[in-house]
Amino acid sequence: MTDEATLESFRLADSFLPVGTDSVSDGLEQFVATDGVTDVDELAALLETYLRRQHGQAGLIALRAAHVATRADDLAGVLDADRRLEATTLAAELRESSTLTGERLLTLQREVREDPFLDRYAEAVDGDETPGNYVVVLGVVTALAGVDAREACLLSCHELATAQLGAAQRLLRLGHTDVQRVLDELRPTMVAAVEDSADRSLAEMTPFAPLVDVLSAEHERADRRLFVS
Amino acid sequence: MATDRTDRGAEGENTNGSATAVDDTDGKSESVPHPAFAAYADESVPGATVGAPGKDGRLELRFGVDRDGDTNLVRDLARAPFHVSGTLGHDPHPRGETVYVQSPSEGVAQGDRRSVTVEVGAEAVAHVSTQSSTKVLSMGHNYAESDITLSVGADAHLDYVPAPTILHGDARYHEALTVELAPSATAVVGEVVVPGRLARGERFEFERYLSEFQARSDGDLLAADATHLAPGESDPTAPGVLGEFTVLGTLYVLAPGGERGELSDRLHAVVADEERAGAADDADHGGADDERRNDDTVRAGATALPNDAGVAVRALGHRAETVTGTLHDAWDEARTALLGVGAPDPRRL
Repeated sequence: MTDEATLESFRLADSFLPVGTDSVSDGLEQFVATDGVTDVDELAALLETYLRRQHGQAGLIALRAAHVATRADDLAGVLDADRRLEATTLAAELRESSTLTGERLLTLQREVREDPFLDRYAEAVDGDETPGNYVVVLGVVTALAGVDAREACLLSCHELATAQLGAAQRLLRLGHTDVQRVLDELRPTMVAAVEDSADRSLAEMTPFAPLVDVLSAEHERADRRLFVS
Repeated sequence: MATDRTDRGAEGENTNGSATAVDDTDGKSESVPHPAFAAYADESVPGATVGAPGKDGRLELRFGVDRDGDTNLVRDLARAPFHVSGTLGHDPHPRGETVYVQSPSEGVAQGDRRSVTVEVGAEAVAHVSTQSSTKVLSMGHNYAESDITLSVGADAHLDYVPAPTILHGDARYHEALTVELAPSATAVVGEVVVPGRLARGERFEFERYLSEFQARSDGDLLAADATHLAPGESDPTAPGVLGEFTVLGTLYVLAPGGERGELSDRLHAVVADEERAGAADDADHGGADDERRNDDTVRAGATALPNDAGVAVRALGHRAETVTGTLHDAWDEARTALLGVGAPDPRRL
């Protein structure tokens, strides 16, 4: 990877990136609200489920497919990945937060750099031809920036974990050191999730976290909530 | 009810595997295994051939409406171990028809390749279920597979709500279910998986279970779901997966004709109520002490499916009966919303 690509990957992985990931908890808020997660160990165990059972089984497969298609200048391939991920994500809130943050990343990237492929993808999203899921946008953006697929997957895992830990910090009042320790300890899990997603076709997406789906359904109807998911 | 079952005379009793009147789709049993099962596929099965007679169960049901608008079973073919004894007219829907599929064999065994096809013609209202749980037996060689294809025509409705699947120790089972809906069709598809013979203390001792679900319309994939459990590879009771629960059920309420946010809220209200009842019982027993956990607790929720395909209801519990009961309540509510009549009474099943 070029220095330019490495720096771009740092920028995209930064929680400073204004795409709204600080407003999503992907069900974590409901786990905390119903005492399913009460401490840092339970949090780490749940994050492992998010990474291994959901992200590695679906999101990262879509990211890779979008990355490969972008490199081949194949917009249809990107849309396939986007639509397949949408069809495979059962919980309505998880789809909403994915397309909400996806749209923000797409808008942001088009502000900071010009690329005709990105424009064509954005047109398809605007025209409701494709949902514009966050990881798919990330796959396109990283491919265009010369970030390798594996790095892009690791970046996505890091981003997911930091977003969740950021949410947990507010919900569970965790200390900064605890948060960093969990992030550090999750590294083998992130690598394993990336391995899980390798060599899998879009038809082989099998995310499986039914309790997350149920809590996400509860969260949709929760009266008081800080997060959109 | 079934006055014009024209094809039935020719094929209704055909349970011995003669394939004379069958469209030849036998190639399916030779198809490439799912990657998760590829490692088992080369293992030969002692004493029998994979997909041999008795191991290649096939069920084909077709429903249509007669001139009076009543639904009839117009074609049925059941090859061992499937058996269809006839139809039951107990559906609360005045035009509805019900078929219970029997399977006299002990259960699904290694090397079994089963195929089920249900076609519901335009305007028909059909309900297909099984008479008892599907037991997936212990396996030392190869694996078992069921391929289920459901199609629902214009303004038609199908309920495909079989009894639970029970996974015995060392079972390896792959089920692939696809439902193809006309844009104006509706369907309810249910699935409950019990990870062992719970009463004898067997749980999560099976080797692998993969159940894949797809809803399609006009060639487009609307929604896909998968239940993938391999206890030896990853803990089924991990937080967010099954957690403290054992039995998983999902009800797919498919209604691609429009946005179903309201139906999602309606179904959630029905199933979330049950959870509250369980939680209240918990409080009566002195709180969330693990040892005294209330076995009747079901945690369930409903969410709108992608692509306006309908609503999914997931239910997690400790016993098959409570999960089945929760899904039945959701089914009843969904049918009331879609057809104006509730689900068949489970006590009559």
